[in-house]
This record gives sequence, structure tokens and C-alpha cells, in this order.
Amino acid sequence: MILKPVISLRQIKLTLLSGFILTSSGILLVTVGGSWDITNHLLNKPETFFSPPHALLYIGVAIALVGTIISFFSWRMTINSDRRNFKSSIFISLLGLALLIGAGPFDFVWHSNFGLDGLLSPPHLTLISGMLLTAIGSLVGIFKFIKEKNNSKFNYLSVLATLPIWLSASGLFHSGSLPFSNTEFFNFNPDPIFAVLFASVAFPFLVSFCLLLGSIVTKYQFGILSVTGFLFLLISSFTAILPNSAIVFTLPFYFTSLIPIIAADFLLRFVVKHKQSVLFVGGILGASFLVIYYPLTAFTYNEILTKQTVWPSLIPQIYFQMITNVFLITLLPAIIMGIVGVFFAKRISFKILSN
Amino acid sequence: MDTKYCASLTGILILIVIFFSVIFYVYPNEIYQESNLIPVPKLDVTLSSNEIKHGESFVLDIISTNNGDIADIQIVSISFPGQEDITEIVKIKNYDFTQSPHYVHIGDEIGAKYSGGKETVLAKYPSIEAYSRPVPSGTVNVISIQVYPQETGIFDVYVKSIGMPHFTDESHYPKDGILDHQSELVDVYSITVKP
Repeated sequence: MILKPVISLRQIKLTLLSGFILTSSGILLVTVGGSWDITNHLLNKPETFFSPPHALLYIGVAIALVGTIISFFSWRMTINSDRRNFKSSIFISLLGLALLIGAGPFDFVWHSNFGLDGLLSPPHLTLISGMLLTAIGSLVGIFKFIKEKNNSKFNYLSVLATLPIWLSASGLFHSGSLPFSNTEFFNFNPDPIFAVLFASVAFPFLVSFCLLLGSIVTKYQFGILSVTGFLFLLISSFTAILPNSAIVFTLPFYFTSLIPIIAADFLLRFVVKHKQSVLFVGGILGASFLVIYYPLTAFTYNEILTKQTVWPSLIPQIYFQMITNVFLITLLPAIIMGIVGVFFAKRISFKILSN
Repeated sequence: MDTKYCASLTGILILIVIFFSVIFYVYPNEIYQESNLIPVPKLDVTLSSNEIKHGESFVLDIISTNNGDIADIQIVSISFPGQEDITEIVKIKNYDFTQSPHYVHIGDEIGAKYSGGKETVLAKYPSIEAYSRPVPSGTVNVISIQVYPQETGIFDVYVKSIGMPHFTDESHYPKDGILDHQSELVDVYSITVKP
């Protein structure tokens, strides 16, 4: 009598992939909740820990937890070569998840002791680091699958893998540049000059790095970069623009940033024959960061340029009052950092896929 | 030389230049033509009595309305000139503002001259601030307080409301009256406390 295994290796691998997908989806929800929470603090100043954005955020944590547990146990059932291949992915996710889970009670205790906290606070930093690490672990796993399957059907998974990282890192960079961290007990606001310099180099880098990361792993398949960019804009508009009824009329402006994103995606078609195309792609994407990160960048640059009180309803007026100057000042560093982002994305994807 | 590539690259670069010109030059000028939002706060104040006996209390009911554009914040301030501490003599009966009302004590740093916190002064007398954020046009909020004056004589209460952002006189209530310690206009309500 021949004993057949209860679950085939193929099924185990698919379960492992499902775990990664679930983890990325969970972190995506966490980032959406987090971004919504920033706007909620700006508009409504919630006085308790129990708010709808926090609820969404912790539902995301629960989904990510389930996803990581599924991937961990299916990973343990894989054969040796797969176990080695996905080891780093699993361990990065587990580390991130530990931080994420720890951040919940930490945040609650912080709120209970110090009331309303700012954007940059120890529990928020723990939460964002956890989000980022869990998303990175999941991305590594999904990218390895995409390479292994070599099937265009799987390629759009790179969008799901990249978005949580882009949004988590955006949250981290906003923490280091927005003046939202001065509270009754602590003032963690960054120095305004540092904040402007940091935002001017970090965001252009992040835009081109994240957009290229998903595209490179799919061998520059047209549509991957555009869809990633569109979903980022969609999430940002839902969490940062739509809740503020006074700025809803700027939505068409915000979505014009799809033009450079699609143009960059189109240029990527030529990369195989004309390697210098990636320089243009990086430059275009980097230079677009001011539109992509509307409306929050208004607060960062206002700190040294116009120094007005940025009431939520005045964001468009203040943003457009200084935007021409900010664009001219930041154009060169933004282009350079956009190009650096492209090279980083190439290097990182190469490392992930070669291990 | 790949002509298809050159043509595509040139086309895209021209498109990007047009994009940035429109986004950072044309569109900002359009936005400047948008007029600022002007919230218009209004208060309806009711006193339970203008005259009470020593040891009795009176109730002050305030209905706050925004008759203008959406306000990011609309504050109702009830202050008590001549009092040292109101935590024992003024009780908040009820309110439906989105934020919890808070007590301002003598010496606390508070905003002045309708500046939204840009200019500040130190409070010379205590007050209660109730506020909602944001406050769409037509929003009505109420607050009711019960006051237990400790001494006989005239007991004054100052009442005002401010909508933020504040660009014109339309965005504060009252439009005339006396100036309080924040250099902002207030209505005065006086209650006689008889022995």
C-alpha cells in the first residue's frame, strides 16, 4: 500500500502564498487606517483611543497576524530548498508582527497616560516600524513567488506587495517631517529646516523606489507601475482629501499626478534596449513628489516659507501660495533622489530575487 | 539611432514640461481666485433668572449656530471676570459639542485678537471654552452651565463665539460690545445676587 501525502507540495506553496497575500492586505489596511487617523487628528482631534481609523488599523493588524501565522506554518511544511528560500521573508514578517502587536497596548497605555499623542511618538514609531518590517517580509515572499512562477497572471501581486511598503514608509517619513507632534507632555516636532530638507530628499526617493520596485520584478510589465501609482493616489485621496470637505475640489488636481506616473510607465518599455531611460523615469517620478504628497506637504513647507496657521480648510490656499517656489527649489534634489531611488530599487530587487 | 524611441522620449518630456507648468503656475493662480471661507457664528443666550438670592444658583443656556461657511473650529467662550477660580462654582450641565469643554484658569496661555493662537495672552480671569471641529454651515450646538455665585452683588458673565479661520468681523460674535482680556468682543450678562 502506498501512502499519499494529505497535502501536496503545490498546495503547501499556495497556502504559503495566501499567507503572504493576507499579510500584505492586512498591512495595507493598517496603512489606510493610519493615514485616515492622521487626517482625523487634524480635523476632529479625537479625544479617545477608540476611533474608526484605529478600528480599521487594528482589524488590519488582526488580518496580518492571521496571514503571518498561515505563512509560518505552511513554511514549516515546505521542503528544504523552499524553507531556505523563504526563511528571511518569514522571520522579517514575524519580527514586524511582534512590534505591531506590541504597539497596540503600548499606544493604549500612552493615550491613557499622556492624552492625545502626536504623529511622532514611541508607540507610533513602534507601530510604523512593525508595519514596515511585516510588509517587507511579505514583499520578499511574494517577489520570490513571482520569479518562481514566471507567469504574468501573478505579476499584479507585486502591486499588493509594494503598496503597504510605500504607505508605511510614507508614514515614517511624514513622522519625521510634519509638525504634528507637539503635545501637552512632549514636543517631538522636527526642526522645520531639517523637516524641509528631509521631505525634499526622502519623498522623491520613496516615490521612484516604490514604483520601480514592483515594476522591476515583473520585468517592467506595462501597467504595474501605473496601477501601483493609481492605487496610492486613490488611497491618499480617500484618507487625506475626501474627509476634509473644504479641499475636495482639489481632487482633479491631485489625480493629474497620474500623468507623470503613466508617462514613466510608458518609458519603461524602452529600458531593455535603452538603459538610460531609467534616468528619465526616476527624474520624472522624483519631480512629481510635491503633487503625489499633497496635501500634507503643505504643513511641512509652510513651517519655513509662509508660517501661517494651516487650518484644514486653508490647505489649498497655503499650498498653492508657496508651491511654485517650493517646486523650483526642490526640483534638482528631487530629480537626483528620484534617480537614486531607481538604482536602489534595481539593487534591492536583484538581491531579493538572487537569494 | 532608434527614431521611435527618440520621438517617444521627446513627446513624453514635452508632456511633462506642460504638466509641471500647468500644475505649478496656471493652477495656483486659479486657486488664488477662490475666496476664503467665512464662518458666521451666532449665539442665543438664555438666563434662568436675572436676580437670585445668595446661596441659589442660575442656569445659562447657550445655543451656538454657524450661519456661514464651514468652520474648522467654532469656539464658545463663557468667562467670569472678577472670579478667582470657577471649578467649584460653575458646573457644566450638558453639552453636545464634538470636543469636551475645558476650564481655563488664571495665568493659562490663551489666544488673543482672533489670531487663532498666533497671538497669545495670559488669562486674567477664568473661563470655560466649548468647541466643535469641523463645524459645517447650519450646525447647531448647545451648552448649559449652572452657576453658584458665592458673594452678593453683581455677578457678570462674558459670552462670545469665534469661527476659525477668522478673516473678517463676520467670523466672531458679538460684532460689538466690550473687549475682554483677549481683546475680543463679548456680550455681558449680569445677575444680581441679593443677600
